[in-house]
Amino acid sequence: MRSIRIPADRVGTLIGKSGETKKILEKASGIKLKIDTEGEVTFNEDAKGVDPLMALKMMDVIKAVGRGFNPDKAMRLLDDDQYFEPIDLKDVVGDKSNQLERIKGRLIGTDGKTRQIIEDLTRCYMSIYGNTVSLIGDSVGLPVAKHAIELILNGSEHSTVYHYLEGQRPRLRIAEMGFDL
Amino acid sequence: MVAAKWGIANIYASYNNIMITLTDVTGAETLAKATGGMVVKQAKDESSPYAAQKAAEKIAEAAREKDIIGIHVRVRAPGGNKSASPGPGAQAAIRALARAGLKIGRIEDVTPIPHDGTKKKGGRRGRRV
Repeated sequence: MRSIRIPADRVGTLIGKSGETKKILEKASGIKLKIDTEGEVTFNEDAKGVDPLMALKMMDVIKAVGRGFNPDKAMRLLDDDQYFEPIDLKDVVGDKSNQLERIKGRLIGTDGKTRQIIEDLTRCYMSIYGNTVSLIGDSVGLPVAKHAIELILNGSEHSTVYHYLEGQRPRLRIAEMGFDL
Repeated sequence: MVAAKWGIANIYASYNNIMITLTDVTGAETLAKATGGMVVKQAKDESSPYAAQKAAEKIAEAAREKDIIGIHVRVRAPGGNKSASPGPGAQAAIRALARAGLKIGRIEDVTPIPHDGTKKKGGRRGRRV
């Protein structure tokens, strides 16, 4: 038996309209979920026919939905070589709410431009929710996206970050074609 | 024929390396170990999923020699006041162990969680690069 807590206002998203999303998740992973209204999600990984590796991935999917991802995007974590990476903004900027607001704005950019560029160039998904920014991506793109976010958090200008991402493009391209390492 | 034996694979996955230690079910007797550095040349690749896969294959090989048919897995991240989520190698290692024909029993997370401890390194103004 494993349990994870997600924010109460994400429970609706995880369950979906009359339980649709939950049903899709259960079908894709073969794990039955139990979700209560306070956000406590439990599932039994020792049940018969449950792939233990799938249970591990399921934890990440639920965490990702709790961290603001759309369940469709979070489902990508059930594939191989997809990883979930939450970053706590409070570690970087402290507790002041206006600083948190500022840094979140910088990560998203005007009309979501910065987030869009990071997502497109690294083939990751990025979500900014509450006091965290989280990423879903593969083992090549994820570290690049993470570094880009760290640059922004540490105060780099946006153009510097875009240049960095552009500079990483050839490397990602090579990995995309399957010549890893 | 020897009785079917089980073992424990202790996987420590950080962002800099991966260490897999194969022990018997008591956890006290080490049977084999493999790390990222043993399988790749470049230091920056030690924590990569590829290194994890290679290390896990080494472990699986050793397990087969010792007549182990299945393993329980204990995954661990650095923990304490460091990162609590395992690095990218953990999943790859478990997958490689399963692919190598070993039965996977329970997967457990044994990351040390502090009940409030010491201050995280980096100081008040964070890490400055």
